[in-house]
Amino acid sequence: MKIFISIIAYITLAPFLGAILAGVDRKITARMQGRVGPPILQPFYDVLKLMEKESLVVRKSQNFYVVFFLIFIIFTGTLFFSGKDLLLVIFALTLAEIFFVLGGYKASSPYSIIGSQRALIQMMAYEPIIILAAVGMYMVTKSFYITDIISYDKPLFYFLPGLLFAFIYILPMKFSKSPFDLAYSHHAHQELVKGMTTEFSGRSLAMIEVAHWYENILMLGFVGLFFANNILIGVALTLSIYFLIIIIDNTFARVKWEMALMSSWIVGLLFGLGNIIFLFFVLR
Amino acid sequence: MSYLKRSPWVIHYDGTSCNGCDIEVLASLAPRYDLERLGVINTGNPKHADIFLITGSMNDQNREVVQNIYEQMPDPKVVVAIGICATSGGIFSECYNVLGGVNKVLPVDIYVPGCAARPESIIDGVEKALKILEDKKHKLVAMGLGTEILAIEPANIEDAAEILALQKLAYQSEAELYNDFAFPPLMQTLSELKEDFKTIIFFKAVMNGIIIGSVRGYVKDDTCYIYRRIVHPIYQNLGIGKKLMNEIEFHFGFASRFEVFTGHKSKRNINFYERLGYRMFKCEKVNDKRHRVYMEKFADRI
Ligand code: SF4
Repeated sequence: MKIFISIIAYITLAPFLGAILAGVDRKITARMQGRVGPPILQPFYDVLKLMEKESLVVRKSQNFYVVFFLIFIIFTGTLFFSGKDLLLVIFALTLAEIFFVLGGYKASSPYSIIGSQRALIQMMAYEPIIILAAVGMYMVTKSFYITDIISYDKPLFYFLPGLLFAFIYILPMKFSKSPFDLAYSHHAHQELVKGMTTEFSGRSLAMIEVAHWYENILMLGFVGLFFANNILIGVALTLSIYFLIIIIDNTFARVKWEMALMSSWIVGLLFGLGNIIFLFFVLR
Repeated sequence: MSYLKRSPWVIHYDGTSCNGCDIEVLASLAPRYDLERLGVINTGNPKHADIFLITGSMNDQNREVVQNIYEQMPDPKVVVAIGICATSGGIFSECYNVLGGVNKVLPVDIYVPGCAARPESIIDGVEKALKILEDKKHKLVAMGLGTEILAIEPANIEDAAEILALQKLAYQSEAELYNDFAFPPLMQTLSELKEDFKTIIFFKAVMNGIIIGSVRGYVKDDTCYIYRRIVHPIYQNLGIGKKLMNEIEFHFGFASRFEVFTGHKSKRNINFYERLGYRMFKCEKVNDKRHRVYMEKFADRI
């Protein structure tokens, strides 16, 4: 019954929270740049407007992939928030991303193809760290089940500071923010127009936006696992990490893909794997 | 209610200009004027844009680019011409390669005056464009639901001025296609058109008291010659042209043969007439730029 409630809560509340988060993000970004900024509810207006627009498609199948992207993101989120296996969550999330990438390829414009290629590179960059994070959590709590992980009595980041750092390092990729907004960005017109979403318009673009709201909430939930033993402090710390990401977004320029890949692997090796090796000796 | 007004995404193109207006458009997006507080995003991608901001005049090279961007934008969309260059060609209007303002290429909805146009007036122009955007949306919806009544009726000489204005608007894209701005429909004067009313039957498509389409024709030697089927750009692709054709064919139902013509590059027109049962029977050269394709249909085929 409890699982049922959390599933329903995720499906209904996540898009609202995600949209408000995106709105707050835009507002804070604007303030940081000395602007007034759009209203907090702007992301809603954007999506509702997109629903009213004509949908131009290059190939019909591109929309099919977007629908599956949305469905699998929601599926992943429900798995996560109903406390299922963390590894399953990670693989389902990857599958969802792959659908999005396929949609970008299918649209077959040079910009969306470049965006998709870069999205694949980014996946290569962040996927090891996410899996290492799951492994680290397993080593501490002896379980991959999220219900077990959150009921562990000490906050996980005591044991996993290096992994937390590595995880924060790759978060801008998941939120598609600077310095890692290579695949899809609001701010890269000159370079890649709109990356993967270049060829999507109207309803399908709206679907992509909604999927990103779900995904952002899911990723914040993942960050929250590091502080899960106390809900209030956990939420506060998670939100402050999001704020940190916004600051990073506004301070750094976009990097090249080589840099994104190399640096995240180095960070992953040093801090992620280092953390796990350390744990291995300490917890033995 | 419509959310178009709350989230207008713009795309910006700069034609032949001194870049003054170009910079002012960017200035209105920058912190001091901050268009984003109205929800405006500078997208750089025509497929995501609602408002097309054009600065600078049109020339032979950027004409195709502008047309292409416009066609890639999903409906409903509006075009805002910013600065005197975009309005009429401005100081560049006498250059050998300059065609003139944006309205030589696209149907412009809002003109923002000024050289350079100030950010305040650009923001004002965008605001006004939002109203038009909503209007267009309502029209599209109303047409889809059939709540706006379309009436096809014979036109008389009082409609001449309105039909002429529509004709010039509707033939822009054709003139554009052939790069022939001395196209007869564009050159016709009001008195010539009034003269036509004595010998030719005109039909008009009226919506909310405004003429949005027209066609004309006459019968000679048992053949009905139909020509100048025009529809306002906003209302194209909504089946109005077909209704006009049906009406005039019905009116001249006694004729045993119907004949239409169009330009050789106007593939959409040729397809349209083929769907109505017309077949091509000859092609004639008009001038270097344009050939005329003649199509016919016999009464027993109707
Ligand atoms: S209108 Fe004036 S300022 Fe604007 S582009 Fe033309 S010449 Fe430059």
